[in-house]
Amino acid sequence: MADKIIHFEIVTPKRVVLKEEVMQITVPTMMGEITVLPNHIPLVASLQPGVIEIKKKDGLPEVMSVSGGFIEVLKDKVVILADTAERAEEIDEKRAEEARMRAEEAKKNLKQFDQEKFTNINASIVKELARSKAVKRWKKSKNIQ
Amino acid sequence: MASTKDIQRRIKSIGNTKKITKAMEMVATAKMRRSIEAVLKTRTYANLSWATVLNLSQADNSGEELHPLLVKKDKIKNVGIVLFASNRGLCGGFNTAIVNKVHESIKKHHHKGEPMEAKAEFIIMGKKGLAVNKYYGYNLAADFPKQDAVSEVAEVMPIAKMIINDFLSGKYDKVMVAYTDFINVAKQIPRVKQLLPIDFTADDKYLGIVGEDSRIGISKEFIKAKDEKHLEEKKNKFYYTFEPSPQEVLDKIIPRLIEVQLFQALLESNASEHSARMASMHKATEAAGDLVDELTLYYNKARQASITAEIAEISAGANALK
Repeated sequence: MADKIIHFEIVTPKRVVLKEEVMQITVPTMMGEITVLPNHIPLVASLQPGVIEIKKKDGLPEVMSVSGGFIEVLKDKVVILADTAERAEEIDEKRAEEARMRAEEAKKNLKQFDQEKFTNINASIVKELARSKAVKRWKKSKNIQ
Repeated sequence: MASTKDIQRRIKSIGNTKKITKAMEMVATAKMRRSIEAVLKTRTYANLSWATVLNLSQADNSGEELHPLLVKKDKIKNVGIVLFASNRGLCGGFNTAIVNKVHESIKKHHHKGEPMEAKAEFIIMGKKGLAVNKYYGYNLAADFPKQDAVSEVAEVMPIAKMIINDFLSGKYDKVMVAYTDFINVAKQIPRVKQLLPIDFTADDKYLGIVGEDSRIGISKEFIKAKDEKHLEEKKNKFYYTFEPSPQEVLDKIIPRLIEVQLFQALLESNASEHSARMASMHKATEAAGDLVDELTLYYNKARQASITAEIAEISAGANALK
């Protein structure tokens, strides 16, 4: 099994979110969701906001939210350079939901069309959405077991 | 011997200086703590992203040029150097060290190989960086203001944009960044590092530094991994798949990573600056204390001498009256 392990690392500018040896990783790339298994060909892709799911060595899943960034896949190593990322158990679902509401509200209230503000708000909406999705999926995976 | 009054005045003034340096030391300590925290937080990301970028620069995608920012120029005529210095002085040799380092590495650059007519131009951040122009006469391309407080990535974005544009337009054939690497509180090392074009092999060739120290604030393992990779560089080229397309991915990833590198350099410089200031202020406080001790000794001697003289005078007077 030694060759069936990926050294996985996900970092944001603020911290190292997770560093582990894992079996598989599912990430949302710009082209759609992909799952990386050991011995994947080298790949570089940009990510879109969404949910990252990994399967640890002991078969347990771990769920994270990501707001964008890049993934670099090497033969037995995967590095995710995320803009922001959080593990599902760290996210407060209620607050994530509220934050999304606030962002949507701000979008509605935006009177003048300001390109920069608009994109910023949109970005925070998808980010919060990804966070609450991550929590939901995490809870689901816990319930099944 | 100076009169007791003079000595007393000096003791007082040095005591005041000591109070000031002590206060500055404490301020620097507080700032240092904050900036070290900031620099350590981002280091992993910066290192990993730099590793990624170097890997990408190695990518062997059947000879096609992946991205203009990865292409080496044949002739280096103009070099842009981003220099991080401090806004204020009183931080020991911090600014002198980095400015001299840059100057040296430019000179070395000239001496190596063919006599090159490469011209260096500076983009500085931090007021004290002006010294490159003042003392060495290098041209300044831009002078960005530096905030004193812990900064945001947004602060270096204009620099990143500027160097990328200038590199693409051909104004610069090479872009370097000069900053002070924070090793620990007692040790900071000025470094010059190549930023553009992103080049795995560039390493230290032009940087004028030798040995392990020359490698950017990176972990030992990374250096080792890099050395190993270096050896088998030829056979160990990856063929990367890019999603959606090389152009789109690299267009996004490279500028982003350049920003991160600059930001890291800024943070390293900040942490180094405050540590350097703390150390030099600590020394100043100590020196002031020593001086006060010494002067107190002189003062006592002078006082005693004057008393002795007075007694001698009185007893001499009394003797004369007998």
